[in-house]
Amino acid sequence: SRAKDVTMPAKLPVSFFSPRSPVIDLFRGQLDSADQLRQDSEIVLYFFYAPWCGQSIAAREEIERVASALSDRVLFVAVNCWWNQGKCRKQKHFFYFPVIHLYHQSFGPIEYKGPMSAVYIEKFVRRVMTPLLYISSRSKLLDFLSNYEPGVLGYFEFNASPQPPGYLTFFTSALHSLKKDYLGTIRFGVITDKRVAEEISLERSGSVYLHRHANTSLVYPKDMMNYTAENICRWALENREMLIRWLRPHGGKSLLLNNELKKGPALLIFIPYNPLAEIHPLLDEITKVALEYHKCNKSQAAEPDLQHLDTDSPASDSSVTDAHTKLAETFSIRKSPCCNTVVLPQWHSISRTHNVCELCVNQTLGVKPDKVLVPHCNFLEIEAALDSFYLQEHTFFQVISSTIECSNFLSFYSPFSYYTACCRTVNRHFLSFIGSEKTIFQTPKVAFSSHGKKDNSQFSIPHIEDRNCFIPDLNISNINITGLSCRTNKTLNLYLLDSNLFWIYAERLGASRSAHLKEFAAIVDMKEEVHYVLDQNQSLVGPTLENFIKNFSILYSPLKRHLVDDPSVDFQEQRVITEVTTNSFHETVFLSEKSVLLLYYAQWCGFCASLNHVFIQLARLLPPDNFTVARIDVTRNDLPWEFMADHLPTILFFPHQRKEQSVKFPEDFPVNLPNLLKFILHHSSLSSSEPCTKECRHKESVLQQGHISHLEREIQKLRSEISALHQAHDQLEAQLSEARREEQRLQQQKHTLEKQHKTLQLHSEQLQATYDQKNQELLEMAEKLQELADASENLLKENALLRILVASREGKLQSKDEIKEALQSEQTLSEVKDISPSTAPATSEESRIDNTDTRETEQSTANRTE
Amino acid sequence: GAAMLRSLGSLLCLWALRLPPGPGAAARGPDVASYRERVRAMFYHAYEHYLESAFPYDELRPLTCDGQDTWGSFSLTLIDALDTLLILGNVSEFQRVVNVLQEGVDFDIDVNASVFETNIRVVGGLLSAHLLSRKAGVEVEVGWPCSGPLLRMAEEAARKLLPAFQTPTGMPYGTVNLLHGVNPGETPVTCTAGIGTFIVEFATLSHLTGDPVFEDVARRALKALWKNRSDIGLVGNHIDVITAKWVAQDAGIGAGVDSYFEYLVKGAILLQDKELMSMFLEYNKAIKNYTKFDDWYLWVQMYKGTVSMPVFQSLEAYWPGLQSLIGDVDNAMRTFLNYYTVWKQFGGLPEFYNIPQGYTVDKREGYPLRPELIESAMYLYRATRDPTLLELGRDAVESIEKISKVDCGFATIKDLRDHRLDNRMESFFLAETIKYLYLLFDPDNFIHNDGSDFDVVITPYGECVLNAGGYIFNTEAHPIDPAALHCCRKRKEEQWEVEDLMQEFYSLKKTKKFTFKTASDHGEGERPKDPEGATSEKAGEKRNSRKSSHSLLSCPSQSFNSKLAVLGQVFLDNT
Repeated sequence: SRAKDVTMPAKLPVSFFSPRSPVIDLFRGQLDSADQLRQDSEIVLYFFYAPWCGQSIAAREEIERVASALSDRVLFVAVNCWWNQGKCRKQKHFFYFPVIHLYHQSFGPIEYKGPMSAVYIEKFVRRVMTPLLYISSRSKLLDFLSNYEPGVLGYFEFNASPQPPGYLTFFTSALHSLKKDYLGTIRFGVITDKRVAEEISLERSGSVYLHRHANTSLVYPKDMMNYTAENICRWALENREMLIRWLRPHGGKSLLLNNELKKGPALLIFIPYNPLAEIHPLLDEITKVALEYHKCNKSQAAEPDLQHLDTDSPASDSSVTDAHTKLAETFSIRKSPCCNTVVLPQWHSISRTHNVCELCVNQTLGVKPDKVLVPHCNFLEIEAALDSFYLQEHTFFQVISSTIECSNFLSFYSPFSYYTACCRTVNRHFLSFIGSEKTIFQTPKVAFSSHGKKDNSQFSIPHIEDRNCFIPDLNISNINITGLSCRTNKTLNLYLLDSNLFWIYAERLGASRSAHLKEFAAIVDMKEEVHYVLDQNQSLVGPTLENFIKNFSILYSPLKRHLVDDPSVDFQEQRVITEVTTNSFHETVFLSEKSVLLLYYAQWCGFCASLNHVFIQLARLLPPDNFTVARIDVTRNDLPWEFMADHLPTILFFPHQRKEQSVKFPEDFPVNLPNLLKFILHHSSLSSSEPCTKECRHKESVLQQGHISHLEREIQKLRSEISALHQAHDQLEAQLSEARREEQRLQQQKHTLEKQHKTLQLHSEQLQATYDQKNQELLEMAEKLQELADASENLLKENALLRILVASREGKLQSKDEIKEALQSEQTLSEVKDISPSTAPATSEESRIDNTDTRETEQSTANRTE
Repeated sequence: GAAMLRSLGSLLCLWALRLPPGPGAAARGPDVASYRERVRAMFYHAYEHYLESAFPYDELRPLTCDGQDTWGSFSLTLIDALDTLLILGNVSEFQRVVNVLQEGVDFDIDVNASVFETNIRVVGGLLSAHLLSRKAGVEVEVGWPCSGPLLRMAEEAARKLLPAFQTPTGMPYGTVNLLHGVNPGETPVTCTAGIGTFIVEFATLSHLTGDPVFEDVARRALKALWKNRSDIGLVGNHIDVITAKWVAQDAGIGAGVDSYFEYLVKGAILLQDKELMSMFLEYNKAIKNYTKFDDWYLWVQMYKGTVSMPVFQSLEAYWPGLQSLIGDVDNAMRTFLNYYTVWKQFGGLPEFYNIPQGYTVDKREGYPLRPELIESAMYLYRATRDPTLLELGRDAVESIEKISKVDCGFATIKDLRDHRLDNRMESFFLAETIKYLYLLFDPDNFIHNDGSDFDVVITPYGECVLNAGGYIFNTEAHPIDPAALHCCRKRKEEQWEVEDLMQEFYSLKKTKKFTFKTASDHGEGERPKDPEGATSEKAGEKRNSRKSSHSLLSCPSQSFNSKLAVLGQVFLDNT
C-alpha cells in the first residue's frame, strides 16, 4: 500500500541553548558565520554539538557555566554540526560529540579533550588566554619552580626592543603545548628581569630552561635543534620529569591504567581537586613527599626550590640519611626471610595487652630450623600464615601472659608447616602511622575456637625464634623517605586522581562509601594482584603517606593485602540462604557450630543464577540446627588467597568440627538436589563407631526431634499437595461434567439437526415434484404454442395462396380493363378481396409476442421452484 | 588475503585515535531515577497509540497513525509488549491484556508465517506471560505452571510450526502456513538463526507440558547445524534444509546467525546442558581465531576464514551481553566500547557499519530502534556497575526521543545520516528496547532478583520454588524462569530419592548406602545418546578431559584488574 512508502524528513533544528545564554547558538550549523564571529574576539571557544547526543546535552550546562564566568573576555560559539543542511556538517566530519575547539587569535584550533566539567574547561580556557605566566620576582620564581608539574621558563629582555627575538616563538610553543598535552601539565613562564633570571643561571636573553627536581635542569640546546615552537614543545615533553602524575581517564576505551599500572606498583592518591583554586595545601604536601621520595641525588638538595620547600624541615635531615639507610639495611639482613611483623589494630582484643606480633613460618614440624639455614619461604606462604594468624589470633589471648610471648600454631592448609608468633607491646606513638591493616575480621569472641585440636599441649614446642623476635620494625620510623625510590627494589610510581571525577576507582579499591571526605590512598601491585590501603581512619597528610610508602618499601612489609567487602549486604534481613561477605566470612563459616555449605557465585554469571532455586530448596530441606547454606558474591567480596575460587559456581562444604577439611563439590556432577544431599551426607561427620553414651543418647533424641519436625513439615507439604490434587481433581471433575453436558447438548443438537435434515429432505422432494409438474405444464404449453405456430403458418400459406389468387385476378382484371367500365359492379367485389390479406399477418405477429411473454413467465416460475 | 588483513589491521589501529573526550559531568553518572521515568513515559506513548490506532493489527504505523499486519495476524505488538507491562509494574493492564488475548487471538488462519519470528515473538511472549501471570496477580488454575490458558495458546502456536521441521535433515523450513503446513514449492533455504533458535522456547514447552516433541525437534535441528559446520569450525549464513548445502557462506556473529550462538549458551544455562555449551565453546574459539580483529568481529568465508566483509552489524551488538553471561566480562566490555563509539557517531547503530571507512554502508543506513546494544549494556551493568553503561542508556533515551518520537509513537529511523523516519514501529521496540532500557535504569527490578526472593507454589506434582531469579531472556527479551522447568518435570522418583536421603540426615548411624560415586554413574547414564549426536558428545568429552580442572557450566572468576576496569579502562593479557 501507499502508506508503506511514507517517510518523514528529520525535524528542523531548534535552538539548543536558551536565548538568554551567553553562548551564541548557531543551531542551523552556520559555520561561515562562526568563522566571521571569530574576527570579533581574541579568544574563541567553539562548541560543536549534535542535538540528540546525550554527552552534548550533559556538557551544555557546563559550557554555560564557563561562559557566564568568562563571557567578557572569551567568545562562546555553539554550532550544530549534525544538521545535514548546515555548512558545519558538510565540512566537518566528527566521530563523536561534543567537540570543543579553542582559538587564540589565529592560532588554533586547540582541541579540549579533558573532563567535561566546568572547572576543568574554565581552567583550560584560562590557560589558552594566558599561556605564559609572568615571573616578575624571586618569590614568584620559587613558587613556579616548586610546583609538582614540569615548568618551562624563557628569559627575554624587553628593554632593547618592544618584542625581543624569539619571544613570539616561545609564546607559540606554549600554545602548542596545549594542543599536544591537553591536561596542561607543562607550565610556561617568562622572565624579564635579569636578576631573577640569574637565579636559575640564565644569562642570555632568549634562553629557554626546563626545570627538573630529581635530575639536573636543562637549557634548550639552540645550537643542536632549530628554535621553533614545535621543537621547544617536543623537547619539553620529552625531557620533562613526572614525579607525580595526574590520571584522568577520558571515558572512552583506553589503556591508560593498564599501561601505567604495568610499569610496577603504583600509589594512587585520590583527592578532591578544584583546578581553579589558588592554593592546594594538600597537593603541596603530597608533592613534598613525592619530591623527597624521588630525591636520590644529594647535590639536588641545594637547589633553591627545595630549600624553599624544606623551610619547615630541619636541615640536618639529609645528613642523617646515610645512617638510616644503613640501619634499614642491617635490619633487612638480620631479619629471617620467613618472618613478618603484624601490627594489631587498637580495637583488637589482643591489642589490649600486645599490639605487635612477629610471625615466622617454619617449614617442617618438629624440626628446629637452624637460624642460619632458615629455609626460604615464598610470599604466598607468608600470606597464608598471616591469614591463618588472623583467623586464630583469639587463641593468643589465652596464652599471652608476659611482655613477650611466642606461640606455635599449625597452619591450616599445609600440614607440613607451622608458624611462630611472638607478640609484645610497643608504645602508642609507633602505631600511629601503621594503620593500613584494617583487620578484615571482626573482633573474635574470647571463647576458645573449635578448629584447633583440643589438646593444646602439643603447641608448646619450644619456640624457635625465642629471643630473636625482637621487632626490627620498631625502627621503621627511622628509615628516611628521602631518595627511597632509588634505594628500594619496590619503587612506587605516584599518581593523583581527582576524587570529584574518579571516586569510583577508590570505591572499587575499598574506599568506604560513607566517608564525607573523599580522600583515599592505595598501593596497587598489578603483578602480584594485591593492593594495600592507607587506613581510612587516618587523615591523608604528608606523614601518613610517607609511612605508607615506607611500609611498602621495606623488605618484609607489614602491609596487609586489602580485601574489599560488599557493604550493601543487610545482615538484619533473615534469609533462607545466608549471605556471606568478606567481613562475616570467618564468623559464618568457621565460628558457627554448624556444618556449612558455601556457594561461591556472581550475580552476572548465568550458570550461578539459574541454580538459585536448587539452593533455596536445599536450604529449606536441611535441618536448620545443624546446617547452614551460605553463599558469597566473589565479585564484591575478596577472600584470603586460600579461600579463593577460580570458577563460579564453586560449592564448598565445611563439615562441623572439621572446618579446616573443607571439600569441594566435584565439578563434573550435575548440581541438583539429590546430588547435593548425597555430597553433604558423604562428608558429614561420622559418629557411628563410638559406643553410645548418655551424650549420644541425648544427641539421638535431638536428632529424632529434628526428624519428627522434618516429617511434620513433610506431612504438611504432602497435605497441601493432597489439597492441590483435590483441587485439581475437582477441577477435572468439573471439566469432565462440563464436557459431558456439552456432549449431551451436542447429542441433542444432532437429533434436532437430523430432524431438520429430514424435513428439509421432504421439502426438497416436494419441491422436486412441483418442479416436475411445472416442467410438464411447460412442455404442454410448448406443444400448444407449436400448434399455434403451425396454425399461423397455415394461415400464412393461405394468405400467400390468396395473394396469388388476387394477383391472378388482377391480371385478369387488367386484361379485362376495356371491359371495366362495362363491368362496374364486379370492381367493388375486388376491393373487398384486397383488404382481407393485410389483416392476416397482423394477427400472426400478435401471437408471437404472446409467445415470448409466456416464456418469460415460465422462466420466473422455474426460478422460484429451484 | 594476508595482505588485505594487514592493511585492515592498520586501519583498525586508527580507532585508538578516535576517542571521545572526558567523562566530566558524567562521572557522577546519569540520574537513574529520572531516566527510568522517561523510559516509562516512552513506553506508554507508544503502547497507548498502538491500542488506539493499530490494534488488532500486528504493528503500529506511526507516521500514518494506523495499523498493519506484518508477521502474521496475531496482534503481535500486544503479545510482545505483555511482559514489559509487568516489568513496568502495571499489573491491571497485564491482566486485561491476558483476557483480550485469550478471546481474540486465533492461530487457525490461512497465513504464511515465519517459523523463527512466530516462535520468538508469539510462543516466547506467551510462555513468559504464562510464567509471570501468577506474579501479575492473574487467577491461575491449579496445575499452574504446568497448565494454563496462555500455555495452551503457546503450545497451539508451536504445534502450527512443527510441520516445518519435517525435513530430511531435521532443519526447519523458514516459512509455514498456519493452516495448511508447508506450502508446496516453499524455498528450502533457511538462515542459520532460523534453524538454531528454538531450544529455549521449545524445551520450556516440553518441560511444562510434558510433551517431548518440541525439545526433540529443536535439538535435532541444532545437531544438524553442528554436523554441517566447516572444517575450521564456522557456520555460514543460509543453508538448504533438504540437501544441507550452505547457500550463503559468510560466517560471522550477526544477521542470520546471531541467535543460534545465543541459544546455545542460553540453552546450556537453562537446561544445565554441557553438550550445548561445548558446542558454543568450540564455535567461540573459531570465532576468536578467524573473525576477531581488535575487539571487532568481522565477516569471513566459512571454509577459508578470509575476511569477506569488514563490517559491524547492528545485530551483532548482543555479543558482549552473551559474553558477560559466561564470564568473559573483559572482552565483552572492550567490544562494547567499540560499538558505543558507533552509536556516538550517529545517534543509533546503522544496520551495517564499515569499520575501516568509519561510515555506514549503502542501503543499510537504517536504525529500526533495535535493542541489542542496550541489551548488552544491561548485562554488563549487572557485572561491572560501570557508569559508562548508564551513559549509553542515557544516550539511547535522548536519541530515540529527539529523533524518532512522533505524535503517534516512535518511528523507525530510515537513514541515520539524515535521521529520516520510516512508517514503522517494530514490535521489538516495546518488547525489547524499552524493556532493556528500563531494566538498565531499574537495578531493583524483580527481574534482577539474585535469589534473595522467591515464591513457593504447591502444585499437584509437588512443591516448587519459583521466581528465584536467573531469568533467561529469549532473543525477543521474553524472560523464562529456569526454576519452572524443574517444577513440572520433577519426577516422583526424585522426590522419593530426596526423601530417602533426608531420612539419613536424621539417623545417627549412617548406613552409608548413599555413596557419592554411585550417584555420579547414575547421573551420567541419565541422558540418552542417539547415534547422530555421538560425534558431538565425543567432542564434548574430549574437551572435558582436557579442561578437567573445571566444569563447562561455569564462569571464570574475575581477575584482579577488573576492579579498575571501569570508565573505559581496559586491561591487556588477563592471565
